Amino acid sequence: MATLEELTVTAQAEIDAIKTANGGDGMFAQVNNVRREFTEAEYDQAVIDKANSDFDQQENGYKTARQEAYGSIQDQLDMQYWDGVNSTTTWADHIAQVKADNPKPE
Amino acid sequence: MSGSLIKIDEEIVTSAVASVTLTGIDSTYDVYQVVASNIVPASDSQAIRIRVGTGGTPDSDSEYDMAYKVFESNTSFANHSEVNQTSWRGVTYGTGTGEAGNLIIYCFNFSNASEYSFITQEEVTYTNSPHLASFTGGGVHTVAEANDSISFHMASGNIASGRFVLYGLKK
Repeated sequence: MATLEELTVTAQAEIDAIKTANGGDGMFAQVNNVRREFTEAEYDQAVIDKANSDFDQQENGYKTARQEAYGSIQDQLDMQYWDGVNSTTTWADHIAQVKADNPKPE
Repeated sequence: MSGSLIKIDEEIVTSAVASVTLTGIDSTYDVYQVVASNIVPASDSQAIRIRVGTGGTPDSDSEYDMAYKVFESNTSFANHSEVNQTSWRGVTYGTGTGEAGNLIIYCFNFSNASEYSFITQEEVTYTNSPHLASFTGGGVHTVAEANDSISFHMASGNIASGRFVLYGLKK
């Protein structure tokens, strides 16, 4: 698990490499129908934004992934009904599989 | 006619940019509307981010609060709330065919230096999963200041294409 500070260092290196002055493709802003390269202040903000985004993904990405992987409420209720009828564990297995596939960061 | 939409600014992105800023918000109109359509990120699975601006520069402070509901066609609907963020956010957009994002934002109190700036936000997209995702919610920037612009960027990477239009609602 990377700290926010570590991710900021990584983001700084990645953003620095993107700058056209360093041979990269640059980051651009479009304002008043003019497309221009980021100012140094905007590049600095981009580093902060990227680090925060990466940190949030690291800490919370599993929540979104689980949400998308869980079956619908209707399907889960159907699983629970048939589990009751057939004494199976389909619903619990489904939940356990989603959690296993998208683990919470330690 | 009262309530008519008066176009203030339009930015059409055809070459990838990291941010788009719509300018021209002042006290001419009480309420402004942003219509953004066919927004495609350069990187798959990225949520759009929104900031108010002062002097045309986006405010990156940690004063953005919002509450919203996300309606998705493949799972149950989800309620969300966030406080003290560095931007408002939207749903996740994808890069595949037909996965563009579309949103409407109403802006309130932006030019009033004594009040917080508020937005209501509606979005619809076909996400990277892919499935339909719709969003409705509201946000506040808890700083009593005048804002003259609103800007957009993706959580990571560029905006590959899209059309952003700012309208004033005629008094």
